[in-house]
Amino acid sequence: MDELLSQFLIEARELIAQAGEDLAALARDGEDRARIDSAFRAIHTLKGSVAIFDMAAAGRALHAAEDVLERARAGTHRLDEREIAALVAVIDQTDRWVDMMEQDGALAPGAEADADALLARLGAGGTTEPVDREDGAAPWLGALLKRHADAADAAAGDLVAFRYSPDGDSFFRGDDPLAVAATIPGLVALAIHPTMPWPELEMFEPFQCAVVIEGLSAAPVDDVRLAFRFVADQVELSLVPAARDIEVSAQPGAAKSLRIDAVRIDALADGVGELIVANNALAHVAAQVDRVDPRLGGQVRAAHAALERAVADMRRAVTAVRMVSLGPSLRRLPRMVREIADALGKTVELEITGETTEVDKGIADELFEPLLHLVRNAIDHGIEPAEARRAAGKSETGVLRLAIRRDGDSVVVALADDGAGIDPARIRDVAVERGLLERDAADAMEDAQALRMIFAPGFSTAKSVSAVSGRGVGMDAVQSAVERFGGRVEIGSVPSQGTTIRLRLPLNAIMTRLLIVHAGGERYGVPLDRIVETASMPSERIVAVGAGRACVLRDRTLPILSLAALLGNEDSPSALTKLLVTETAAEPVGVIVDGFGERIDGLVRPKAGLMAGVPGIAGTTLLGDGGVLLVLDLAELVA
Amino acid sequence: MSVRLHEGSIRLEGDCPVEDSEPLLQLLLENSPCAVDLGGCGRLHMAVVQVLLAARSPIVGVPGNAFAAEWLLPQLLSADERT
Repeated sequence: MDELLSQFLIEARELIAQAGEDLAALARDGEDRARIDSAFRAIHTLKGSVAIFDMAAAGRALHAAEDVLERARAGTHRLDEREIAALVAVIDQTDRWVDMMEQDGALAPGAEADADALLARLGAGGTTEPVDREDGAAPWLGALLKRHADAADAAAGDLVAFRYSPDGDSFFRGDDPLAVAATIPGLVALAIHPTMPWPELEMFEPFQCAVVIEGLSAAPVDDVRLAFRFVADQVELSLVPAARDIEVSAQPGAAKSLRIDAVRIDALADGVGELIVANNALAHVAAQVDRVDPRLGGQVRAAHAALERAVADMRRAVTAVRMVSLGPSLRRLPRMVREIADALGKTVELEITGETTEVDKGIADELFEPLLHLVRNAIDHGIEPAEARRAAGKSETGVLRLAIRRDGDSVVVALADDGAGIDPARIRDVAVERGLLERDAADAMEDAQALRMIFAPGFSTAKSVSAVSGRGVGMDAVQSAVERFGGRVEIGSVPSQGTTIRLRLPLNAIMTRLLIVHAGGERYGVPLDRIVETASMPSERIVAVGAGRACVLRDRTLPILSLAALLGNEDSPSALTKLLVTETAAEPVGVIVDGFGERIDGLVRPKAGLMAGVPGIAGTTLLGDGGVLLVLDLAELVA
Repeated sequence: MSVRLHEGSIRLEGDCPVEDSEPLLQLLLENSPCAVDLGGCGRLHMAVVQVLLAARSPIVGVPGNAFAAEWLLPQLLSADERT
């Protein structure tokens, strides 16, 4: 679900709850000013939010409700019982509409008729067209006001909202949209948005104007229009009346929490990553200063140590901020269960407990897919058809229980079905049939071990391939997804009573920031905290010195090694050399790589098995695409 | 030239016209990850700013131009990707 919609669903439901509470209070005392104000604010905000989506019917109904409340606030009108009931009906219907948006992304066809009925109840009749204040306006306005709510609320008078969409060819014509924006008088908010999501930098076309400039100005509309006079055809303006003298009375019990866009938290985490790298560079400076002036060097080292502690604290704090409740990620599950069960002609009930358990956001984001897969399998293969259940003396309705609980440093997500269970004998047969095991080995297996075979790649016990569970691929995918964030999968099954699959996940995955580098046709991960800096220079600046190579970087001679050669691959010379500078015990060393890739957060597992003996490898991490990335131990490699 | 690589970061100096967007993009491609230092820059052309927004590079320094410092810098720093 896109970020904007999911954010809307959360906010809209809160506002609906608030308005509902206020209206219930108003039903007892229709003249409670604070409640009238509060209901008005909630409905007003709700109306602004629905304007962002294709929810015109909701917009109309809320607009009419807002009008009724506004008259009550002005004291020109007293709310009667009938009106309060009508307002409650608007809120209830809006709640249903919000559900529709969540489930289908659109309102049902009858929505307009429902809105008409609500309008009639509110006494607004079917005739009122929304008056053009900020209502009935383009969707961009609602989004803009929402983003800049602080600036808009702080403004003393009316504001002008503008949206300037420069032509793609603006730059060729010699226009600078920013120069135009800089002339806007009374600016209180300004934001630049890409017209399309930014492409990869490699694909970026620098001379094509690909942005929209939006903002708010406190200047008179004619003055704003004047600023845009040369590009009037590319600009939309809209008047935003001053926030209606709502008394900002301290709201008792107002939540002390702050809702922050996940993207900002990620940006914060990235920022901490940058700090770590910058701080690494400082350690290097300290060593240099030490050689010239030991006393000053000591001071720099102390400053570096203090900074390092602060950065470590900050990193812990950011990690804590990233803890989120699993609830929101599971919100779609009940509907998915209904759909899957319907498709298979089964009736299944889903019970969820412990969904408020908090885990790292990275895990919450990733958990849904594997879980959905387990749910599909449980409904498809676990829970029997109604006849079979009846014959076995069970209720025709199958039950799926999803229980989430904390267990020490882990979170255990258990999915239990009351289906047929898994027969270990059949698993053995299939494993042999599929060539995954020899007969002897299969027979020698414990039952518990045999059950685990369902996670082996290429295993499927379904006699026929069904549309829902596909071809049995996936249980192995579940396992690798769970392992990617450092968890493990446990399975237990009792024939004719059901199967339970437990995902044991770390509470907060200790992720390492890695930079992906390319060398000798392969890609590798390098922990960001091992990198002092990255640089590129013309290859002729790298000269042979004795048996090795070196270059001068910032007035210092830097020994140069090639990563490809260190790893036993071919060096691929090019005109521009890319260097990774890392610190060894003695001095910084430049390591030539073929290119830099993206930065990722990875859970680095220690090397094991065959790799345990390979020097220069710190471990491995799994990539989002299921590939394995070798993580280099640069210190060992260049030693 | 008002865009150059200096001590591992990309420096923008003086007013940066539309022509600077191409070399800036090039430097970012060749040196990523790399910080961009706006400490010495003045007015920024939209073309230059959109490269910076798209690259989401770490930004250091405060532009000398008041409009750039007040209205562009916060957005470059937040690299808010929501469209």
